[in-house]
Amino acid sequence: MAVRRVVFTGLGVLTPVGSDPDAYFAALCNRTSGVRRLAFADPSALACQVGGELPEFKPNSVIANKEHRKGFKMMARTVQMGLVAATLAFRDAKLEVGQIDPERAGVEFGAGMIASELDDLGRAARVSLTSPDGPVSLGVWGAQGLKDVPPLWMLKYLPNMPSCHVSITLDLRGPSNTITASDAASLLALGEAYRILQRNVADVFVVGGTESKMNPLSQTRHNLFQSLSRRTDDPTRAHRPFDRDRDGSVLGEAAGGFVLEELEHAKKRSAHIYAELTGYACGFDRSHDGVMMAKVIRTALQRAGARADEVDHVNAQGLATIKSDRWEAKAIHDVFGPKTPVWAIKGNIGSAGAAAGAVELAGSILALTRGEMPPTLNCENRDPECPIQVHTDGVRPTNKPYAVKLNFTDKGQVGAVVVKRWEG
Amino acid sequence: MHSRRVVITGMGAITPLGQSVKELYANQLEGKSGAGPIFRFDGRTFPTNFASQVKDFDLARHIRDAGRFKDSGLNTKFAIAAARQALADANLLDNPKVDRTTLGVYLGSGEGSHDFPNLTLSMALACPADGFKVDPASFYRHSLRTFGAAHEYEMEMHTTSGHVAAEYDLQGPNYTCQTACAASGQAVGEALELIRRGEAEAVLTGGSHSMIHPFGVTGFNLLTTLSMRNHEPTRASRPFDLNRDGFVLGEGAGMVVLEELEHAKKRGATIYAELVGYGTTADAYRVTDSHPEGRGAIACIKWALKDAGLKPTDIDYVNAHGTSTQVNDRAETIAIKDVFGEYAYKTPISSSKSMLGHLICAAGVVELITCVETIRNGVMVPTINYETPDPDCDLDYIPNRAREKKVDRALSNSFGFGGQNVSLIVSRFAG
Repeated sequence: MAVRRVVFTGLGVLTPVGSDPDAYFAALCNRTSGVRRLAFADPSALACQVGGELPEFKPNSVIANKEHRKGFKMMARTVQMGLVAATLAFRDAKLEVGQIDPERAGVEFGAGMIASELDDLGRAARVSLTSPDGPVSLGVWGAQGLKDVPPLWMLKYLPNMPSCHVSITLDLRGPSNTITASDAASLLALGEAYRILQRNVADVFVVGGTESKMNPLSQTRHNLFQSLSRRTDDPTRAHRPFDRDRDGSVLGEAAGGFVLEELEHAKKRSAHIYAELTGYACGFDRSHDGVMMAKVIRTALQRAGARADEVDHVNAQGLATIKSDRWEAKAIHDVFGPKTPVWAIKGNIGSAGAAAGAVELAGSILALTRGEMPPTLNCENRDPECPIQVHTDGVRPTNKPYAVKLNFTDKGQVGAVVVKRWEG
Repeated sequence: MHSRRVVITGMGAITPLGQSVKELYANQLEGKSGAGPIFRFDGRTFPTNFASQVKDFDLARHIRDAGRFKDSGLNTKFAIAAARQALADANLLDNPKVDRTTLGVYLGSGEGSHDFPNLTLSMALACPADGFKVDPASFYRHSLRTFGAAHEYEMEMHTTSGHVAAEYDLQGPNYTCQTACAASGQAVGEALELIRRGEAEAVLTGGSHSMIHPFGVTGFNLLTTLSMRNHEPTRASRPFDLNRDGFVLGEGAGMVVLEELEHAKKRGATIYAELVGYGTTADAYRVTDSHPEGRGAIACIKWALKDAGLKPTDIDYVNAHGTSTQVNDRAETIAIKDVFGEYAYKTPISSSKSMLGHLICAAGVVELITCVETIRNGVMVPTINYETPDPDCDLDYIPNRAREKKVDRALSNSFGFGGQNVSLIVSRFAG
């Protein structure tokens, strides 16, 4: 049986530096940073007061259908962003609802925990106070407070809602899954969708990742457990991948969507092809020593039929914590040695968790397509313990056919994707 | 038809009806219910004040140094315990003869639970007395002081499969999926595909979840999906009965080891059954309701049959999703009739949820394990509390008493909020 090939035929991005592929790529080339002092709420009490917020997000400008707009009130911001990115990708692929066989079209997203908006629960909490200083009474909450919570509250925040709303809005009735593997989520989602297309259960997949941490509950939680930068007075220079003086990530928000399509299906409808997805692998780096991470990269390359010296660049995770960047650099060095250009986009946009893989991969697909790769922001003095060639100076021409995208979680879940420039 | 066949070589279960596969199955055969008053928190004033809980769970009885997991959610603790059972059962615990990089993990394992007292207090104190808009700056001050960092981290969904992989040295593909009530069924299905494709030789897969916490019960109560039979919890879950009024919230974990057949044979593993079919679809209808004509469910069951190369008449028993909500049980009945035709009336169907309650993310795999035990033991578990037939649900639901039958192939359905459908077909291993 012939191997079914899979190509990218649509892109949609929402990032702090641009919400269409052209604007996003131009901003990366121009070394634009989307990291600023947080504006959605006064961040003064937070250890990390800066982040990558979308400067404006207007779902109504993308979703015109009134029926679909009605659903917005049932969706957390993360869900709305996922739906918009998916819709942009679908449109970019010149697909229309009713034009493809819905039973052969699937959806898969990477997503994380979606934090409740405080105002959905605040009233219930307030009426359940036993005295002005607390505590909140469970008894009162159950008897009275609960009634002040919106009836569909839970459905607004389930992690599978981006995929579900996309399936409903775009009428995708094939497989639907949501991968919740933190920073590796969208690459694993993409990889699984790729496998499903290969095994001939679907011909078209809308895939991506979405996450917004721009709400108070997420900020509190992530400030408590994540290693975040303290460069409050210097936001655009705060997230410093592989830099000697890095001191942690900044939180971001983003959504990325792709249309992945079986090659013959794409050709038959004369779709524009951005790139081919040629290799994918995942694994668990239990020892955090980069050995298994390197093995995952090698497996992905081998499945792609690509040698390390055919890789134009590695698009790294670049979380900008001391530990994570060394862990990653060790694996990249192990596979590619010290010379292959490495690029990290989080310096521009911060860390968007489950969405990171999708928007960062979109960067590499655009780089291969346009023949130029933007620089990594804020890596001013490379950490000598990260012995890799972080590309920092201007736009460089891409000169080899493959790019590798790497993401992993703090626990050790690793995903690697190999994409190939489309040459017709 | 699939060049790499996949078998089940280990199973583990932490459930409201027992903390082993043996107990889980024996209690279902006796038609016991796991439901009772909520003891995980004081839920006496909630619209629904009962649930189906795991009794006397103590991780220290399953592993050494259980204190390492003190900040983890119940979902993680259940998962660690069930995973150990399944891996030990498969003789894959500390087995140096097996390349650990070929062993994967795929869980549908939910999230931990919020620190209810401190989260609600942080919001309440940040609300002005004359209004209800929460002031974020004030919320930050309270919440940053009172939340525990480790607890917040351990709520994250990737930590469960991460802990399981680290604890048992499973370095292959590692996934966590969340498709609501279909999650562990989906995990098992995609794990099957990982092995068929050769990306792993064996995968520990299944799910784990507990939503028996104040926000969980709040959310489900508001959606009006929970039974409100507070006066008779053990009779509340009554799938397919005319007077059903919602599901009973459950909790727990189930794990299976899926393994490539030749790999299992070569190391002399015990083979419990073969996993032969997997189908998954989306309703693409509404996030609040399943499709009234069972559109997605029909396509899903058909996919699973096609994947297995089977006809409906090859299926001897169906373990239904059977939640005990009006809508689900009707739509599922329609779907089974649509796919099975006249044979639907001859097919015994039961709902484990009548006894276990709804284990949410963990439901699918625990029900799959029940199917495996049914094939091995030749007795089908009943649907308890079935008293008044519903004219819209007119199939054979194995009412109230377990029934003997030689079962060679069983179908297990899982359907989740948002229109997520999964069907799995498990078969007696015939060599």
